[in-house]
Amino acid sequence: MNQEELNNRLLEIRDKLIDIEHTTNNRIFLPCEAENNYDVCKFLFEDLPLRFVIVTGIDSDNCFEVLYHFSNDETGHVVTVKAFIRDRENPAIESISPFIPGAEWIEREVHDILGIEFKNHPNMRRLILSDDWPEGVYPLRKEVQK
Amino acid sequence: MWSLKKSVWVFHVNTGACNNCDIEIVNCLTPRYDIERFGIKLVGSPRHADALLVTGVVTRQAAPRLIDVYRQTPKPCVVFPIGACACDTGIFRGGYHVVGPVDKIIREEDPNAIIAFVPGCPPKPEAMISGVVKALSAI
Repeated sequence: MNQEELNNRLLEIRDKLIDIEHTTNNRIFLPCEAENNYDVCKFLFEDLPLRFVIVTGIDSDNCFEVLYHFSNDETGHVVTVKAFIRDRENPAIESISPFIPGAEWIEREVHDILGIEFKNHPNMRRLILSDDWPEGVYPLRKEVQK
Repeated sequence: MWSLKKSVWVFHVNTGACNNCDIEIVNCLTPRYDIERFGIKLVGSPRHADALLVTGVVTRQAAPRLIDVYRQTPKPCVVFPIGACACDTGIFRGGYHVVGPVDKIIREEDPNAIIAFVPGCPPKPEAMISGVVKALSAI
């Protein structure tokens, strides 16, 4: 799939996105609300299809951001779905592990260190924190870092 | 103490290292450096060891394991923290999972432990050999 095709196909899900940002010549950001993230990722992974790379979690100013990175290997584009979770008290997002098993571990890691709940995740156990780490303390949250 | 001056058998403990120091330790055993000619031998159990080569910052998960390994080592033994992380936690200082450095954890268990530092990121095999020689000639 070349760049033009990719740009055209991305317009099919334009109504679920806040914006389509072409920041540099090989990065595309798709900011969206957390509720639409599942559909957008499913579209990218199953309909286009793009290769799933990794998930990043960020404790942003007044919300959490979960970034799902997908790669279009033919052109070298990285398409990033940037999902905003506005609820800081009980942050939750729909898990993409049911259709991308490769995302299982990285979602567990994001849950460990940022405390974001991934709904319908098949196996949400502790992954990287030590066994004696207290429950409910998330080390990369801003209030813990201070 | 005289037992430490002949053939020193070492046990290698990784307490959260990035593997670079571990590779350099293995490098000491290759034909190029061949530390077995000095009688230094890597063994598979701390119960057979005279010295511990500890790499890594000592993470929260690894600290009790390091103490277990130290308790199992016959005394007297020498602890060698290998690399910048093991000596002083290096670039990981203040990390949420870091409880090290190595000497702090060992001293909590045994205040009179013999500890000899080999800094570097990673230390060269020459540096490790020199560290072992200096430490053993000092005791």
